[in-house]
Amino acid sequence: MPSPQQKSVHLSLRNDVAELTLVTGALNRIGEEIDIPAKALIQLQVALDEVLSNIVKYAWPPTEAHVFQVQISVRAGGMEVVILDDGVPFDPRMQSPPKPVAPDVRPRPGGVGIHMVKQLVDSFEYTRINGRNQVILTKQYSKQQWP
Amino acid sequence: MNNSALTVAESRSGNTCVVALSGRIDSTNANDLITRFNRLISSGEKSILVDLGSVLYLTSAAFRALLVATDQAERNEARFVLCSVAGHVHELFEMGGLLDAFTIHGSREEALTKLG
Repeated sequence: MPSPQQKSVHLSLRNDVAELTLVTGALNRIGEEIDIPAKALIQLQVALDEVLSNIVKYAWPPTEAHVFQVQISVRAGGMEVVILDDGVPFDPRMQSPPKPVAPDVRPRPGGVGIHMVKQLVDSFEYTRINGRNQVILTKQYSKQQWP
Repeated sequence: MNNSALTVAESRSGNTCVVALSGRIDSTNANDLITRFNRLISSGEKSILVDLGSVLYLTSAAFRALLVATDQAERNEARFVLCSVAGHVHELFEMGGLLDAFTIHGSREEALTKLG
């Protein structure tokens, strides 16, 4: 019997941005069941939106239908999300950081997302294995954390 | 759970169009927001206030929508300002290095006073 502090959910998603609501929904449910602090949950969701939307946009030609896998596991104060896709080899961590801008120039959105992901999660790993991209995000939380 | 959905409520206060957002703004709905802002600015609105007070979180896709609208407003000589950026949302602006990218007022009342 898994303890109520452990939970694992597997999702198969089509390469359609609307599918990302399934991940948000799954994380919301897990967050409620396990009572994960809102801040940690939100930070993981913001990071995932960036990583998953990039896969949907860039892993395959937009006209082709594909499926990719998202595995969410929660145990002992930490969440781990493993994302597997068979799209073009792409290390999402390699996106260049946002260029510093002059005080009177508005920053461009490009690169802001990945820069944020690195701050939002505790680890952000990428491996190309067996012709697939594997991204692993982890986010720790403690019950004492600000809610 | 349906609190994921983004809700957009438009109202008017004097010459200002107030757009109150609530829920989650992410890559699944940011394009709807771009369309909405685009329509407002194209229709000739010269003063738009976006109230983020009830937003649970926003992702880089949402920041993109706000930046695109800010640029478009500038080209159309319209004012596009934000208010009530607090809590988690404020932290995300900070993380993205975006606090200085927008005109941000503390509250709706303060913003409306400034916008006149």
